Amino acid sequence: MSVADDDAVRAGIAELLAHGLKTTTEPFPETEKEFGGILNELRALDPKDLKSKLVIGGFVNHPFGEEQYRCMECMYYLVHRKWCDLPELAVPVEPEWWCRLWRI
Amino acid sequence: MANLLWLQGGACSGNTMSFLNAEEPSACDLVTDFGINVLWHPSLGLELGDNVKTLLQDCVSGKIPLDIFVFEGTVVNAPNGTGNWNRFCGRPMKDWVKELSDAAQFVVAIGDCATWGGIPAMAPNPSESVGLQFLKRAAGGSLGTGFKSKAGLPVINIPGCPAHPDWVTQILVAVASGRGGDLSLDEFQRPKTFFTTFTQTGCTRNMHFAYKVSATEFGQRKGCLFYDLGCRGPMTHSPCNRILWNRQSSKTRAGMPCMGCTEPEFPFYDLAPGTVFKTQTVMGVPKDMPLGVDKAGYIKLTGAAKAAAPAWAEKDIFVV
Repeated sequence: MSVADDDAVRAGIAELLAHGLKTTTEPFPETEKEFGGILNELRALDPKDLKSKLVIGGFVNHPFGEEQYRCMECMYYLVHRKWCDLPELAVPVEPEWWCRLWRI
Repeated sequence: MANLLWLQGGACSGNTMSFLNAEEPSACDLVTDFGINVLWHPSLGLELGDNVKTLLQDCVSGKIPLDIFVFEGTVVNAPNGTGNWNRFCGRPMKDWVKELSDAAQFVVAIGDCATWGGIPAMAPNPSESVGLQFLKRAAGGSLGTGFKSKAGLPVINIPGCPAHPDWVTQILVAVASGRGGDLSLDEFQRPKTFFTTFTQTGCTRNMHFAYKVSATEFGQRKGCLFYDLGCRGPMTHSPCNRILWNRQSSKTRAGMPCMGCTEPEFPFYDLAPGTVFKTQTVMGVPKDMPLGVDKAGYIKLTGAAKAAAPAWAEKDIFVV
């Protein structure tokens, strides 16, 4: 995808989240097994099914939790591309967002 | 001339295969250039049957001076402490190990199995395997904590699955050339010259580690393997990226996470499903931090590193 495409998709996600898209932020996957379970759900999706990815991934458009974790510190986040590099998600994101597949 | 005897216990012969691939020096160099006389080796020895037994008995009695006793594989104690699951030359191997260790000037354990039990000693350890002086992190093993060979050193542990061939031959040369007393060993009796630095030392992905860019799939030519793919390079003591394998490469350079095979706990988590090639986390934070780093410092460093990361760190830059 081009930068313009990424920007357009990112703006679309921002709009969905701003309009109250209810996503599955809980439970946070505490173990690798639980983490793997969420990945399996994502793998079963049509890769173009963006909305379901956001719901299953538990996306929110703000830092999350007591420690205010955000995409910016996540290992999957590519700073310059503003991109989530987790293969099962592979979506443009904002650094201040968060999802429950967050890892550091 | 230094007499060397090499025996195998609960072993896959992987360390023998590694040893025979040594280059600096080679196994042949040991004989031709460094005066090592290989009395017997499972893959090289000419004697068979009773002749091997006689040779071992002569080593135990002192008729043949035994300078270096090398052991590969675990010491098997099953069933019920008898050691009868691993018999050699008419008796349990563990009895040969005890007597030959007492007779030798130096005792060298090669590979994880001989050093701390390795894969055979994983729970539930049906073969009752132990290393020569350790069982995983616990000191003791087959010979006990107080064991010292005639030269006054404990067992020299050269771990790895397998050990790098040059670690083996270089230590054997040091011992055979009278410099065994100069060897400095760490708390697990590993030669410090090899096992003070980390697998990460010299890793071609260190830039990605520094900028917190992760490899997310095998074969990617960017990204650090620690964050997601279970690499243990930052907390494993080995020179795998200083003394390259086959003079060419290393696991991490080839895109393969370090499995920590020179550490006593290997294989980690007893190979439970989902623990291999996957970084273990608690609430998204790695369970095993780079050695000496605490969680708070790690999180702060990540924020700073991500903020400073250059664009090239996110691209394929041929780290393989």
